[in-house]
Amino acid sequence: MRKVWAVVRREFVERIRSRWFWISAVLGPVFFGAIIIIPLRLAASGGAKRIVVVDGTNTGFGARVADTLMRGRTFWIVARTPPRAGLLDSLTSEVGANRLHGFLIVSDTTVEGGAAEYRASNISSFRDIDELRGVLGRLAVNARLERAGVDPRTVSRAQISVNLATKKISGFKTTGESSAQSFWLAYVMSIVLFVVIAVYGVNVMSSVLEEKTTRIVEVLVSSLKPFQLMLGKVVGVGAVSIFQFVIWGVGGRLVLTQRAALLGNLGPEDAATQQVALQLPHVAATTVAVFLAYFLGGFFLYSAMFAAVGAMSSNEQEARQAQQPVMFLLMIAYLSVFALANDPGSGYAVALSLIPFTAPIAMPVRWAAGSVGPNELVASLVLLVLGIVVVTWVAARIYRVGILMTGKRPSLGEIVRWVRAG
Amino acid sequence: MPAPAPAPAPIVVLDRVTKRFAGHTAVDGLALAVQPGVIFGLLGPNGAGKTTSIRMIMDIIEPDEGTVRLFGECGGGRTQTARIGYLPEERGLYRKMRVLDVLVFLAEMKGVERRVARAKGLAWLERLGLADWRLRRIDELSKGMQQKVQFIATLLHEPELVILDEPFAGLDPVNAQVLKDTVLELRRRGVTLLFSTHIMEQAEKLCDQLCIIARGRKVVDGALGDIKRTHGGQHLIIGFDGSSGAAAQVFADTRLVKKADDYGQYAELELAPGADPQQILQALVASGARLAKFELEEPSLNKIFIDLVGPDAARAEARPDA
Repeated sequence: MRKVWAVVRREFVERIRSRWFWISAVLGPVFFGAIIIIPLRLAASGGAKRIVVVDGTNTGFGARVADTLMRGRTFWIVARTPPRAGLLDSLTSEVGANRLHGFLIVSDTTVEGGAAEYRASNISSFRDIDELRGVLGRLAVNARLERAGVDPRTVSRAQISVNLATKKISGFKTTGESSAQSFWLAYVMSIVLFVVIAVYGVNVMSSVLEEKTTRIVEVLVSSLKPFQLMLGKVVGVGAVSIFQFVIWGVGGRLVLTQRAALLGNLGPEDAATQQVALQLPHVAATTVAVFLAYFLGGFFLYSAMFAAVGAMSSNEQEARQAQQPVMFLLMIAYLSVFALANDPGSGYAVALSLIPFTAPIAMPVRWAAGSVGPNELVASLVLLVLGIVVVTWVAARIYRVGILMTGKRPSLGEIVRWVRAG
Repeated sequence: MPAPAPAPAPIVVLDRVTKRFAGHTAVDGLALAVQPGVIFGLLGPNGAGKTTSIRMIMDIIEPDEGTVRLFGECGGGRTQTARIGYLPEERGLYRKMRVLDVLVFLAEMKGVERRVARAKGLAWLERLGLADWRLRRIDELSKGMQQKVQFIATLLHEPELVILDEPFAGLDPVNAQVLKDTVLELRRRGVTLLFSTHIMEQAEKLCDQLCIIARGRKVVDGALGDIKRTHGGQHLIIGFDGSSGAAAQVFADTRLVKKADDYGQYAELELAPGADPQQILQALVASGARLAKFELEEPSLNKIFIDLVGPDAARAEARPDA
């Protein structure tokens, strides 16, 4: 046992000592932050879209549309002009030359029949399109009602929209989490789980590979059992990953408490955007516990597999190839995160959160996105632990034979033989 | 030579040990015993099964048949690991670790306490002139220095049995000397050494006892002197001074010569059973050869080895994991 402990300590100390650990400890949150904030910023910034309103209305509807859009921050109305021959062609060439973002065509039929047209170089921004559709729809309704003789004040009172507040009920209690927050939390958790399990799993793999290629492993397995060596390695690397989380946790705390100061440094214009990004969801202690439990489970499950991959490879290239199936397995749940978060109760989501290979990412996501019953959680955890036992047993057998093998990569048949040979 | 004292219990015993890998038998019913305090050579060409045998002794792999006994106890090297020092054939160290840390870690694997391991490691580094390098990373060291670190790692825990697999392979001349001195020093202190090699000249100079294996089977074993007497036959070294005359005809006389390696100005003869060297001398002189050297000699181990296993087996190709 003292030897296993020595292996654990070596893995831990050597990693903590390396420059890369500290670089990733510092850059990790920056990286995760970037993944989360950059899409938001890109969607929000980039300046207002310069558009022209081609106004074919006689009722002043076009003018109202232009004014309303101008008041919003998404669009900048360069001009409002009545339609004339050749106008659309010249506007199109302006867009082509990138001097104009696009143009909006409104006419009396917009009010009557609800038809308008927006031509632009980019029409895939949901945000832009939503804003246009919203403004046009609201103003068209106003215009129709006013034409029918309804008092404009009644209309504006009728326009007060319903603000649907969403609160997640978790364990018979209403939490402060809104649906957007739940989604973001689930999304962020899936990214962190995926990246950290993959990174530290690959760490275990390279560590195995190093001992194999340098033949130190021969000296080691003549001193302790291969399984003890593998165990020490996995626990040591796992401890590093936990230490990493501790650093991030403390760092995150600091950022949170200093949030106001940080925001103050940004321009007032950006503050609104930043607020959206930094509005951190309320994270319950149980959520943290679920996250950590599944992280540890996932880490042990996958690092056992990565250890076996390292043992059956003779060099980095071979290992990179052989790790692909394992990576793919890990990716299944990660790629399903949107489906999981949108409908945490679907059969697909339930299945993914029960299968041990996908549960480490799927279950925390479901937990964050919606409520998961205690029975399901227990069932998933039991299956995960069983999965770890079986996978580790198989991996240890591959590891034991593989670390001493050199030369050509074993075929699948040979690996099966290794596992079956007592 | 005095009659040998009653043999003490052997340190290493292989009892009809067999190991098969997919497709071939690496070690086939090998039996050997290593007495305490000797330098034991496990000899054989590449692919003969030396490394496989050593790995079975070290408990790195399990034999399919037969048993390994160490220090009189059943079971392989892992249970006795603290008493054994092992240097594998292809040697490496953790490249990114500091020298002293590697030594301490590997000693811990042998059950040495951290603090003790540190002190002993420092003493060894001092002794081999590496003290200033103790905080450097392994990959900053020259290959020769790394080899020294590996010796230290093998010996730091003061093992009673030291097993070296092809220890001289890839050593620079200085380190080969260091290793040879260390081996002899260890024997003086009563440590038992088992090493494998395919270079017979080294074995001849160092070993008290040896075992030659080829294709996984034992060809011969015993004390070096006994093997030479039993298997050597009588050998003649002949040097000519300019003219070999009709020596070739003499060499071809099967009543006198069993086998001849004729190099023109130099020849090695193995005498036919019962042949008298004096007859050959007379025949050579009569043939008109001018002799510069005529010497009766023990055969080299290399020659015994080739005679025993045949030139094909002696050149056998290395097989994976054999």
